[in-house]
Amino acid sequence: MGMWLKGLTAGVALTALVVGAGGAARAQEEIRIGVVYPLTGAAASTGVELKAAAELAAAITNKEIPAPDKLLAAVGMPNLKGAKIKLIFGDHQGNPQVGATETERLITQEKVVAVMGAYFSNVTATASQAAERYGIPFMNADSSSVTLTQRNFKWFFRTTPHDDLFVTNFFTFLQDFEKKKNVRLRDIALFNENTLWGNETTRLELKLADQQEFKVVEKLHYPAKTAQMTSEVQRLKAANPAVIMQSSYLGDAILSMKTYKELGFMPQMLLANDAGFNDSEFLKTLGKDGEFVISREVWALDQADRNPLIKAVNALMLERAKVNFNGNSARAFTGMAVLADAINRAGSTSPEDIRKALAATDIGSDRIIMPWKGIRFDQSGQNELGQGIIVQVQGGQYVTVWPFDVATKDIVFPIPAWNAR
Amino acid sequence: MTDLRKAAGPALFFAVALALPLVVTDPARLNFLILILMGAQLGVAWNVLGGYAGQVSLGHTVFYGIGAYASTMLSLKLGLSPWLGMLAGGVVAVAFALAMGWPCFRLKGHYFAMATIAVAEIVQVLVTGSDWLEGAVGLYPPMSPTGFGAMVFGTSKVPYYYLILGLLTLSLAAGWAIERSFIGYYFRAIKDEPEAARALGVNLTRYKLVAIAVSAFLTALGGTFYAQKELFIDPGSVLSTSISIKIALITILGGVGSLFGPVVGAVILVAVEEYSRVIFGSTGAGTDMIVYAVLIILVAVYSPTGVMGLARDLKRRFVPGRTAAEVRP
Repeated sequence: MGMWLKGLTAGVALTALVVGAGGAARAQEEIRIGVVYPLTGAAASTGVELKAAAELAAAITNKEIPAPDKLLAAVGMPNLKGAKIKLIFGDHQGNPQVGATETERLITQEKVVAVMGAYFSNVTATASQAAERYGIPFMNADSSSVTLTQRNFKWFFRTTPHDDLFVTNFFTFLQDFEKKKNVRLRDIALFNENTLWGNETTRLELKLADQQEFKVVEKLHYPAKTAQMTSEVQRLKAANPAVIMQSSYLGDAILSMKTYKELGFMPQMLLANDAGFNDSEFLKTLGKDGEFVISREVWALDQADRNPLIKAVNALMLERAKVNFNGNSARAFTGMAVLADAINRAGSTSPEDIRKALAATDIGSDRIIMPWKGIRFDQSGQNELGQGIIVQVQGGQYVTVWPFDVATKDIVFPIPAWNAR
Repeated sequence: MTDLRKAAGPALFFAVALALPLVVTDPARLNFLILILMGAQLGVAWNVLGGYAGQVSLGHTVFYGIGAYASTMLSLKLGLSPWLGMLAGGVVAVAFALAMGWPCFRLKGHYFAMATIAVAEIVQVLVTGSDWLEGAVGLYPPMSPTGFGAMVFGTSKVPYYYLILGLLTLSLAAGWAIERSFIGYYFRAIKDEPEAARALGVNLTRYKLVAIAVSAFLTALGGTFYAQKELFIDPGSVLSTSISIKIALITILGGVGSLFGPVVGAVILVAVEEYSRVIFGSTGAGTDMIVYAVLIILVAVYSPTGVMGLARDLKRRFVPGRTAAEVRP
């Protein structure tokens, strides 16, 4: 029996020792913020860029590098006597369970006062749920699934617009454009791939078309991995829409453009839903044939020509991380800046104070590097001032053409016919 | 005496497992222990089919997903308690396993394994495209009310810990009962000498179906537990091939066909996975994956019978007075 007890005690003690290793002493004046991104695995290259962007925002807040005064992050932490932000990174590998585990570890072991993440919508779902249980603010800068803010979490804040808003943007854009150019673009065709994304998009487009009195003259779904689109494009051609709204991944986006050209068909406007049409391979493969396509985006580098703030911050990013900002990293930078600003306004590192400060956020468009009207959260934690932008391929570049107040170029309209280029 | 000595190991394991939450109070560390128990439970479930009956499945994620989706859907649509959902998930998984096993068991060895991968992939595609199951968007089991009846617990990890320990105990008990009964002998006969077993009158297909049914039921229980713990499921998190592989790997690492092999395998695999990620993961260099891979290669090369097999070999060599015949295969 003595042996037994000894064994038991030793077993418990040993396991406790193994499990209990780690955990570090911390300096008092540090503001610890957890950041969960995919740092290994298939999306690692994106994750590393997101990490660099968050680090840049923290470095600016910490006054380690000078930045324009106007910039949100440049405020620093005057209300916390210039305390420094320390980012603690967790790697979720694109796995929802790991996302929750890492968030919990950051909260309970690293004692972070807020968490930012997690790029993938499904990882954001579990990671933010862990933060919600512990009552720690969760900042989401880059996941677009609508359901995330439908949960009505108390501790969840999302700066980026979501998928519904992007589709809504298409219709707002068309209405704006009609007014500006005094044209009518009421006959539209929906041409979407047939997995979840395409189906959801079609559903929403049908609803909005109905509400805003657009006429859907053709509605087609095609299999995303299709090898030929001749019959689909012939049907589109026969329906003769003014506008085609298209959701495609890379391979099918390229195939559709080739088929349009083959059959000598092009509507007055081709309105693409990001994804394949904005992939760097799209223009590389199609060259001049990719010209004049209009697509939605979350951000574009040509915004730097319009907004000196973007130019300055992009120069800092280029110097530190050797890459330009893109839609993802620009949103991560902004998310971290908003979080830091809230902590400063809270004047405290208590999660409840930070949450209240986040809820009271009201940031103007002139202090951020996003093409948004500003940042203000609604009851569900969604930024209600966010918007997408619409870009057009002109001269081999994606240039911003809408919203008109942030546009850098005029829209080429209608798209020239294939034989007139 | 032999029986007592045999019982000492498991008794020690349960005593340590029951006492651990008294010592480990930090939620993140307790969560780490829960991950080990979750892995062990799935490994033990897989072992019934893959270990005892020798039918290697690389599609067990299907049963895991069925468990998770069944309980979640019942709770969302009908407001049913996850406890009933858990049972229902098990029953659906058994029905699915029988329907899948009937044709697949005509295939032998690698071909059976490939068929299970295919079935799992098909189910993942179907669920991803299903509006009713919210496809790629995923489902959120209700976060409140909390408590034992709802199988949702706030920030305390202790109830989750004892819950999964209970599931593991149930799975081990099932494995133990099978090991000792005639079914266990049939399973091993099917695994080692299928032709001889058939000649002796063992109905191969029937007993393979028994094995897959038990295995699927237990795996589905683990799926429901996952859904209730993480409170979010989507095809990527409960129906991916990587889960199937992890389940098989845990058992193979620990020792195929040995009752406690998957428990040992889970301790090692989950510890390496978690600690390598925490230590190296945030560098973004993928070091954790390399460490993880090296360990698996080492085991595969030096101890193909798993850690339990290695331990048995050492015991045989150093403990006198015990012949090989006494050691369970």
